[in-house]
Amino acid sequence: MAYRAHIDPIACAAHGDCEDIAPEIFRVGDVAEVIGTGPDELMLEAARVCPSVAIRITDEATGEQVFP
Amino acid sequence: MTDGILIAGAGLAAQRGAETLRRSGFDGPIRVVGAEPHRPYDRPPLSKAVLADPGAEERLSFRPGAWYDDADVELVLGVEAIGLDYRARRLQLSDGGAAAYDQLLVATGSRPRTLPLLDGFANVTTLRTLEDARELRGVLAARGRLAIVGAGFIGQEVASAARKAGVRATVVEAAPAPLHSVLGASVGGWFADLHRAEEVEMILDARLAAIEGDDAVEALVLADGRTVPCDHVVVGVGVQPNVEWLGLGAAGAGGMEADANGRTRLAGVWAAGDCAATFDPAVGRHVPGAHWESAGRQAVAAARGMLGLDVRSAPVASFWSDLYDTRIQYLGDAGTADAVRIDGEPRRRDFRATYTRGGRPVGVLLVGRPHELPDARALLAA
Repeated sequence: MAYRAHIDPIACAAHGDCEDIAPEIFRVGDVAEVIGTGPDELMLEAARVCPSVAIRITDEATGEQVFP
Repeated sequence: MTDGILIAGAGLAAQRGAETLRRSGFDGPIRVVGAEPHRPYDRPPLSKAVLADPGAEERLSFRPGAWYDDADVELVLGVEAIGLDYRARRLQLSDGGAAAYDQLLVATGSRPRTLPLLDGFANVTTLRTLEDARELRGVLAARGRLAIVGAGFIGQEVASAARKAGVRATVVEAAPAPLHSVLGASVGGWFADLHRAEEVEMILDARLAAIEGDDAVEALVLADGRTVPCDHVVVGVGVQPNVEWLGLGAAGAGGMEADANGRTRLAGVWAAGDCAATFDPAVGRHVPGAHWESAGRQAVAAARGMLGLDVRSAPVASFWSDLYDTRIQYLGDAGTADAVRIDGEPRRRDFRATYTRGGRPVGVLLVGRPHELPDARALLAA
């Protein structure tokens, strides 16, 4: 669990793809929110498919941005 | 005030509107009236995953049926709004009934334009509804030759799905290049090359002159005499807003006019999504609805406006498409540009086109570069 997801609430258009892919990590209302954690790969996949690129992934250990 | 909020239409804008109302604390009645028999569902996958995989239908609904019970949102499905008496605040319904409201969100969406020449043939479809997508999936599975009229995003996505299914496809487009009026000749030409590289036949600058066939189209005949033999035709030549039912004068040709927050000229009536022409302060005019993101945001704004809540500012809306597994993203208004700069490698399906007007960025197209979207957004907002 080295990665952490952050939502840009301005960019998020509530497409819902992240919740489809990782319902235990994301929940989508007016905008998406991070509700939990999960495997790094799943988090990355959700970030990659987001049509609005509203999910930023950082490495918790280093603070470094992994995506986008 | 007990008639509550009525939402005419049951697509993205309707769903987003209902959800926002409930989340914002509205506890009065909410009714959603939709012409289709389905719970509100997401349309973009219809021209993508659903054409390849029946299983993708399971993920279309925005919410499970139980959500509507829990949220106390009443769905009236298979019933169309056919008339509005805005003075009495009543909607006439296609089942002969009427529905009273305190506030109305007009979210009846749009429908595909059709071509008179192709009316009445059995093997001609447009793509807007789940039923359309199911029919087209069957056509692709049968591996017949497909003719696609119109090289907009719908036509291009169908071409992409057809090739994935191993179907021969020919695209017939009136303009000199796909998306020519928006993206210009060079980038439009890139899209034409993309499809040709995937063995789609692209016929540009083409005008449909006649049809061969009696009950079914056997071939399209073009003005220059060329024929396009086909087993099925998909027409993707744009959409028109579903606003006729509102009555003459209530809505313009581009849709029901609304201010930036979705409020229309009629008291208690709001509009959002493809049926709305929403005022855009940036360009100083009403802009017809066209995009998924703006439909959702307009509905959120209208719902909040109904409750007297402030409206959050939105970023430049972006539009996305997937063609041959390459993500295409577009934002801004490239149609007003006087110059375009290409960075990257178009041949590798990896580039960015930056459109400028008088040196100022007005639009960006990203191909295979989803990670650059935040940067492009910031560029256009500056």
